[in-house]
Amino acid sequence: MAAVRTTSEIALNRIAVVSVLIATLIFLAPIYWIASTAFKPKELAITVPPTVLFQPEVTPFIRLFTKRVQMQKAVDPQVYEAAPWWEKRIYDGGERVLKVGKDVQLSQYPDRFMNSLIVAVISTVLAVGMGTFTAYGFSRFKIAGEADLLFFILSTRMLPPVVVAIPMFLMYRVVGLNDSHIGLIILYVAFNLSFSVWLMKGFMDEIPKEYEEAALVDGYTRMQAFFKIVLPEAATGIAATAVFCFITAWNEYAFALIMTNRRAQTAPPFIPSQIGSGLPDWTTIAAGTFLFLLPVAIFTFLLRNHLLRGVTFGAIRK
Amino acid sequence: MTQIELRGIEKFFGAVQVIHNLNLAIADNEFIVLLGQSGCGKTTTLRAIAGLETIDQGDILIDGKAVQHLRAADRDIAMVFQSFSLYPHMTVFENIAFPLRATRMGSGEVDKSVREVARVLRITDLLGKKPSALSGGDMQRVAIGRALVRRPKAMLMDEPIGALDAKLREEMRAEIKRLHVKQGSTTIYVTHDQIEAMSLADRIVIMHEGFIQQVGTPDEVYSHPANLFVAQFVGSPVMNVADAAVAGKASFASVIVGDATTGFEFPSALLSKLNGHAGGQLALGIRPEGVLIRRDAADGFMAVETQIVEPLGSFDIVDLKVGSKMLRARTKSGFVSGPGEKVFARIDPTQAHFFDKASGKSLEVRL
Repeated sequence: MAAVRTTSEIALNRIAVVSVLIATLIFLAPIYWIASTAFKPKELAITVPPTVLFQPEVTPFIRLFTKRVQMQKAVDPQVYEAAPWWEKRIYDGGERVLKVGKDVQLSQYPDRFMNSLIVAVISTVLAVGMGTFTAYGFSRFKIAGEADLLFFILSTRMLPPVVVAIPMFLMYRVVGLNDSHIGLIILYVAFNLSFSVWLMKGFMDEIPKEYEEAALVDGYTRMQAFFKIVLPEAATGIAATAVFCFITAWNEYAFALIMTNRRAQTAPPFIPSQIGSGLPDWTTIAAGTFLFLLPVAIFTFLLRNHLLRGVTFGAIRK
Repeated sequence: MTQIELRGIEKFFGAVQVIHNLNLAIADNEFIVLLGQSGCGKTTTLRAIAGLETIDQGDILIDGKAVQHLRAADRDIAMVFQSFSLYPHMTVFENIAFPLRATRMGSGEVDKSVREVARVLRITDLLGKKPSALSGGDMQRVAIGRALVRRPKAMLMDEPIGALDAKLREEMRAEIKRLHVKQGSTTIYVTHDQIEAMSLADRIVIMHEGFIQQVGTPDEVYSHPANLFVAQFVGSPVMNVADAAVAGKASFASVIVGDATTGFEFPSALLSKLNGHAGGQLALGIRPEGVLIRRDAADGFMAVETQIVEPLGSFDIVDLKVGSKMLRARTKSGFVSGPGEKVFARIDPTQAHFFDKASGKSLEVRL
C-alpha cells in the first residue's frame, strides 16, 4: 500500500464516507419515525408537517399494555386524584382502564409478544440445531446423491411461501394445528431449515476435518468430537445462522396472519389489527412496533462478536 | 512393549487400489519411516493404522491383536498431523490435557502429566497461550506433547515437520530424534523427504504406487537399493542411472555407458556375478561419490570433459560427458574450475549397482 494517498484518493474516500452516511440515514429514517411516534402525544402524531420537537411521554406504552374504554363523561375528581400516575394519563385521554375488581386488565399485546418470542426462539433453536447436524453429515461423510439432496433441500425455498398458504391452512385445520404454537413452530422450522443447512454446510466445510480426526485419535467418539471440537469451532456460523433464522421467524407476517387468530397469534399480525375501529391510534401502534424491534436488535447486538470474528484463526498450517 | 504388524493390507478408493498386499512387521520401540512421493499410499497406510481409514483386506495387529475393526479411540495410538490440528479454542494446556480428559483422569493427575510433558518439550511457559499465538515450531511441540502425554502404545506422525521452514525443520528433526531416544516408543513416521527418513529411521519403508519397494535400515536402502526406484529416490544428489553394456576383456570387464566408445574398467568377477545377465538389457547405477575423478591420466581412468559445475558449499557436483550421456560426479569444492575442462574418471566398482532394465530389479552385484 502506498504510504501517501493522492488527492483523488482522498476525495474518493470522502465521497464514500458521505455516501455511506446518507445511506445510513435513509435506512434509519423509518426506525426514527417509529421510535419518535412511540413517545409522542397522540395529537402530535398526525400533524402536517411532522412535529420533530416535542415533550416525550410514555402514555402510548401505558395504552399499549392496558385494556381501555372511552368514557362518556368526565372522571370524578376524587377518583382522578386517587389514581396512580399512569392511570391519570389514561383519564387525560378521555378513557378509563378496564378492571376486574382491583386488577387492571392487560391488553393482548403482552400475550402476542410472548407468542412471538416462544415461536421465534423455539423454531430458531430447532432449525439451527437440525441444520447444524445435517450440514455436518453432508460436510463430513460420503452421501449418495449428495448434490441432489442438497438441491432438493434448497428447492423448498424456490416457491414464494404464500403460494402454499391456503393448502397449508387446510391441512393444518384437518390435523388441528391451526392457531397453535407448535403449528407455527413447525412451519417456521420447515421454512428456515433449508437456509440453515446451506449456511451451516458452508461453515462446516471451513472447519478442517483434522480437528475431529485428532480428537478421534485422542480417544473420543465422533459424537464427543462433534460436541467438544466441531461445535465450538462452528460457533460463529451458528450465531450467524441463528440471527437470520430468528429474524425470519420473528418478522414473519403472512402465515401468522392466516394460521393464527387468538391463542397463538404473534405480534406482527396483531399490531396492525389494532388500527381497526375508529380513528387509528398511531402512537400506541408505534409503541408496539418499537418494542417489537428490540429483541432482534438485542439478539444481534449480543452475538455481534461472533458475527464479526473469523471462523478459524491460524492453528492449522497448510 | 508394542509391536505392530500389517498383514496383506489392501485398500481401494473407489476403483483405484491405493495399497497392494502390504506386509510389514514393526518391532517394539522401533522408529519406522514410511517414505515415498505423494500419492504412494504412505499416509493412507498410517491413517489405516490410526483407525481414520478403513481397509478392504488384511489385518492390522497391535501386540498380536487385530484392531482393524476397532475405532480410533480404542486403539490407544497417538498421532501428530502435518497441520498440527491444535484445537484453536483451547489453550496449550487444554490441548495437551485433551487426550487425558477422555480417560476421565483426575484433574490433579492431568495437571501433573501435562506439566511433565511440557517440561520435556520445553514449552512450560506457553501453557496459558492459545495456539494462534504460537510459532510453527512451538505448535509442533504442542502437537507432539498432545501425542506423548497419554503414553500411547504407538506414535504416528504424518509429515509432522513438513509445514515448517528449512532451518526449523532441521532443528525439529533433531528434537524428534532426541525425544524418541529419551521416551522410546514405537513410532511410524510418514515423509516424502528422504533426508528426514535417513536421519530419523531405524528402518525405512519405501513405497511407490501402493507397493512396498524396499524395507531396510538407512544404510541398506542407501548402499543396496532393491530396484531403480529406490536407487533414484534415496540419496541426494540423485544416483546416476544409465544404460550399460558389459563386455569381457583380457584382464577386466568393460562397462560401456550409453553410446560411449570406450568402457569403464571393472574387475572380471563382474561377469560371473552378473549371472548370465551380462548380455541382457542392463542399467548401471552409480552415486556421484562413486564417480572418481583426477586431473592426470592413470590406469583404468577414462578421459572425459566437464560440463556444468554446481558448487554446493562442502562439495561440488560436476557433470561429465560420457558419450552423449552425463555422469554426475562429486568432487572437492573447486576441484574443477568450470565447463570444458579435461579430467580423468573411473567408476568405483564397489559402489556400482546393476539393475535389470526390464524389471528394474537390482541384480545384487556386490564387488
